[in-house]
Amino acid sequence: MDFQFKNKKISGILTILPKREVLFEDNISNYSFSHAKSMKLKLAMGYNKQRIAEDGVCSSDLAKFGLEYLINNNLLEKEEIDALIFVSQSPDQFLPPTSNILHGHLDLKQDTLCIDINQGCAGYIIGLQQAFMLLDQDAVKKVVLVVADVLSSKVSKRDRNSYPLIGDAASITIIENDENFSDIFCSIKMDGNGADVLQIPAGGFKMPSNEETAEMVEDDNGNYRSLNNLVMQGDKVFNFVQTEVPPMIKKILERSNTDKDEIDYYLFHQPNRFMLQKLADKIGVDRGKLPSNIVENFGNSSGVTIPTNISYNLGNNLEKNIYNVCLSGFGVGLTWGAIVMKLGRVKFNKIIEF
Amino acid sequence: MEQFLEKLAEILEVDSVKREDILTEFDEWDSLTLLSIIAAIDSDFNLNISAEQISSFTTVGDLLKYIDSNKN
Repeated sequence: MDFQFKNKKISGILTILPKREVLFEDNISNYSFSHAKSMKLKLAMGYNKQRIAEDGVCSSDLAKFGLEYLINNNLLEKEEIDALIFVSQSPDQFLPPTSNILHGHLDLKQDTLCIDINQGCAGYIIGLQQAFMLLDQDAVKKVVLVVADVLSSKVSKRDRNSYPLIGDAASITIIENDENFSDIFCSIKMDGNGADVLQIPAGGFKMPSNEETAEMVEDDNGNYRSLNNLVMQGDKVFNFVQTEVPPMIKKILERSNTDKDEIDYYLFHQPNRFMLQKLADKIGVDRGKLPSNIVENFGNSSGVTIPTNISYNLGNNLEKNIYNVCLSGFGVGLTWGAIVMKLGRVKFNKIIEF
Repeated sequence: MEQFLEKLAEILEVDSVKREDILTEFDEWDSLTLLSIIAAIDSDFNLNISAEQISSFTTVGDLLKYIDSNKN
């Protein structure tokens, strides 16, 4: 479905990455594949370095660190936070909401709306859309969108399908009103028939984790995982993305009256380089305009890859310049979405390490 | 289709492929190869095929027949 917003902007993006760096080669011996085959996979998918949080580090730890950094460096004032949106698939607990935990930790005012949203690869798009909607309220002047995931501990180390690409990260985006910014176009679609394409079967209320769900089982491709682990049907995700995303981009460009060459950057979720290059070809844009280098440098951190992409590839250029950008996220749900907007003249756009 | 056979040979890392070749007997036959074939079929024929479907074919010829009767 289509959304449109007026007089709003992103005024700052901070990405928080765990310091621990793991190399693809470090884990090759865990996979039941020949060295040569694994190296071929590395080359095709662009696997190399991943950022993996230390054991026991929660999404909220990365978020707290980033929020305190912004507050201590006078880039954000506590009193001006009217809404705190926390998008994640790895909340600290089932209850309370992690946004409330952050609210308490920072000792924010009572007139701050806290919302947790369970979303993954399209989570940044959903989070922005929610932020834009909230800003239409008079009482909301500034929204803090936190997207954080530490899913690496849920991925089997013997799963060559998913482990080489996983990454942990958090990001904080500040969204506020500004009459000088042009209209923002947003499109979001859902297909719950594909809810099982990307999932963690056990650990919720339907199938609580126990000894049985922890049993490691080999799949048809020689990967080992348990029901407690994340499981992805890679070919279905690939086909879904190639089928659904290009027409969505085409339509949103038409709706916003933008030629595809007028977009300076296509800042997409980062599943792997292979998929992104095929996507660029199918949309018909230069691969250089659609960065695909996040997985090889940091890993795929679900909803955090779009802000990581922005922080890493645009850096402080975004403080001076304004770009026409097309953002897109796609994955778990299945959920896919896109935003066409102007992005720039931000107060900050950088990466810090936890 | 001849061009696609050349591409298939490249993906499978062999000099050439014949219609009667058994898919699973290629040394390079694995999930990454499958994905590469899915991507090649998508870009050359604008056709979506699942890993399951490809796995249900025995020979290269079976795969080509499927593409022929389903391509746009």
